[in-house]
Amino acid sequence: MSLGLRDLRSESLLPGTSACPGCPENMAMRMVGMSLGKDVVMVVVAGCSSVIQGIGPKNAYGYPVLNIAFAAGPAAASGMWRAFKQRNKNVTVVVWAGDGGTADIGFASLSGAAERNEDFIYLCVDNEAYMNSGGQRSGSTPHGAVTSTTPEGKKENKKELLFIMLDHNVPYLATASVGYPHDLIDKLRVAKEIQGFRYVQVLTPDPYGWLFDPSKTAEVGKLAVQTCYWPLIEVIDRKVKISNESLHCLKKETRRPLKDFLSVQGRYKKLSEKDYQELENYVDDLWERIISML
Amino acid sequence: MMKVISGNEAVALAVKLARVGVVGIYPITPQTTIIEELAEMKARGEISTDVVRVESEHSAMGVTLGAAVSGVRAFTATSSQGLLYMHEMIWWAAGSRAPIVMVVATRAVGAPWNIWNENTDFMSERDSGWIMSFASSPQEALDLTIQAFRISEDPRVFTPMMVGMDGFILSHTKTNVYIPSQEEVDQFIPPRRQPYVIDPETKESMGNIFQPYHYMKLRQSIHDAINESKEVITEVGREYEKLNPLTDYKTLNVSYKLEDADFAVVTMGAWSLDAMEAVDRLRDRGVNVGLYRVRYVRPWAEEEIIQNLGDKKAILVFDRATSLGRAGPLYLEMKATLDNPMKGVIAGLGGVSMGKKDFYEVISRFVEESKEGRLKGVEWYYPREVKEVELGTPRSSI
Ligand code: SF4
Repeated sequence: MSLGLRDLRSESLLPGTSACPGCPENMAMRMVGMSLGKDVVMVVVAGCSSVIQGIGPKNAYGYPVLNIAFAAGPAAASGMWRAFKQRNKNVTVVVWAGDGGTADIGFASLSGAAERNEDFIYLCVDNEAYMNSGGQRSGSTPHGAVTSTTPEGKKENKKELLFIMLDHNVPYLATASVGYPHDLIDKLRVAKEIQGFRYVQVLTPDPYGWLFDPSKTAEVGKLAVQTCYWPLIEVIDRKVKISNESLHCLKKETRRPLKDFLSVQGRYKKLSEKDYQELENYVDDLWERIISML
Repeated sequence: MMKVISGNEAVALAVKLARVGVVGIYPITPQTTIIEELAEMKARGEISTDVVRVESEHSAMGVTLGAAVSGVRAFTATSSQGLLYMHEMIWWAAGSRAPIVMVVATRAVGAPWNIWNENTDFMSERDSGWIMSFASSPQEALDLTIQAFRISEDPRVFTPMMVGMDGFILSHTKTNVYIPSQEEVDQFIPPRRQPYVIDPETKESMGNIFQPYHYMKLRQSIHDAINESKEVITEVGREYEKLNPLTDYKTLNVSYKLEDADFAVVTMGAWSLDAMEAVDRLRDRGVNVGLYRVRYVRPWAEEEIIQNLGDKKAILVFDRATSLGRAGPLYLEMKATLDNPMKGVIAGLGGVSMGKKDFYEVISRFVEESKEGRLKGVEWYYPREVKEVELGTPRSSI
């Protein structure tokens, strides 16, 4: 598998970013370059990625970037692709946003753009907290996780963007994890060829917020999928397809124990037995719903 | 061509004549009929403009900015709460030096709810880095909107521009408006120019984190561009006479019977015409008074103001806006420009109507006060029937 990756060149990430070591967003950005090619314009909303990009007027991404306020990404992208269309230019517009920008402050404009079926790819890099400002909880933070604003562990479940976006009936929707680069690259390549609103949510395990060793980013990204905490799916024209890496999740017996994913992270250190049960239920519900859609 | 239309229709026509590429639209009273008219034009096939029906004013400016930085002419319009909701993006557009045009049909801001006219919404954007003009008639709303595209896209400026007009009073009132032809406007506004275009060819990026010194220099560049736009504005104004010979845009602001006047009244927007009639009546009675109408809030026409008002015995500034706890913003701006004895009057907030009689009363009193050397700083003026109204606040019931 790794051989294939080496063959894929990417200039989407230039040397000299200000990312932390082991940053999952850098990994995802490289994979975007591997799949979407050159004719891309990025809209980067506030978040780690606007810092990773480095200090202006320099830009560590190999793409032209419009950096924009937290809640305005999908709106700006709507204006952009329409402008390119008027200028007869074939450009793939990509919004790059974190989970805070997606699930919380930017949700209205995301929902609006999806409803209008705007022609761009919305990529949510989900590290399950506001990492850029010091790791505060977001709507996408899972139950039980300790963050700097939930020191006792979050009491609510993760906001299920996957289903919310499914209900918008967009032409393309997928989930991916930086632990499985081939899967993400394939999905983005499919997304590139589809017209209209495309939503891709990538799990980006963050060593600094999730509290694991930075060398383990890819591994944690894999564990999330193997334990079925993070489903890998693809929805084209309302047809749900489970990616190979997640097929074993269809049956409870074949799932890897959730403990294997939780125990490698410091953010679950305050997890009680009850919290653990809550998370297991969350995973069961998630899959029950996915199975009901097949 | 002359046509009887409202201010909002005039603005929609200006957008059509300017061949705008993308408009982001969201309804809010009293701006709504602008975007309705644009949607109608689109449905009738009269414009090739991409009309994007967004989910909020924040997004309206987001779409407009996205389209503008990607190389097409872009427009939006809003009012009141909508303008405030858009506030963050207004700054983002200014910091991007993106030529964008927006019309604000002014309206009071809640709480409590009030749909009537006031200029505080517009005036509270003074610090954001836009060029800001303010119309006094549907004709000016059309003229200034057309001019705004040319001014904001001038390489000496490259700054977004907003055009204000009094909500309902201008937005919904129909009057005779002279409309230039499409050919004339095509000649008047050159093809889109902008400081940079974001696309894979140009590789331009914008908006990422900047060092403090770069940031500060960028802020100054906006400040300088706005100041230096004065020359462009008057140049564009002079040339506009080819399109509409009936108007006068040779200067930023407008003087009326000022030259020989001892006393000056300063106004902005639609009620200037009522104030002018009051000035006429006072002149008939031998009172030596003239009027100065502010048409540009940004840039601030410092030199023009000093030249026109510097020698006046006393100045009266009318504000249809407030900076609560201080004074009216126009009064504060004038105070910072002139050393003359000055009085400020806050009036007409939230749709309280001000007629010729009211202007006559306030101006007469001001002339007397100044003759007697007892000019007060700032006064809130209520027309006769409103004076009697009691405000039943929770405190007054204790
Ligand atoms: S905090 Fe996390 S996502 Fe942000 S730059 Fe560091 S590793 Fe990357």
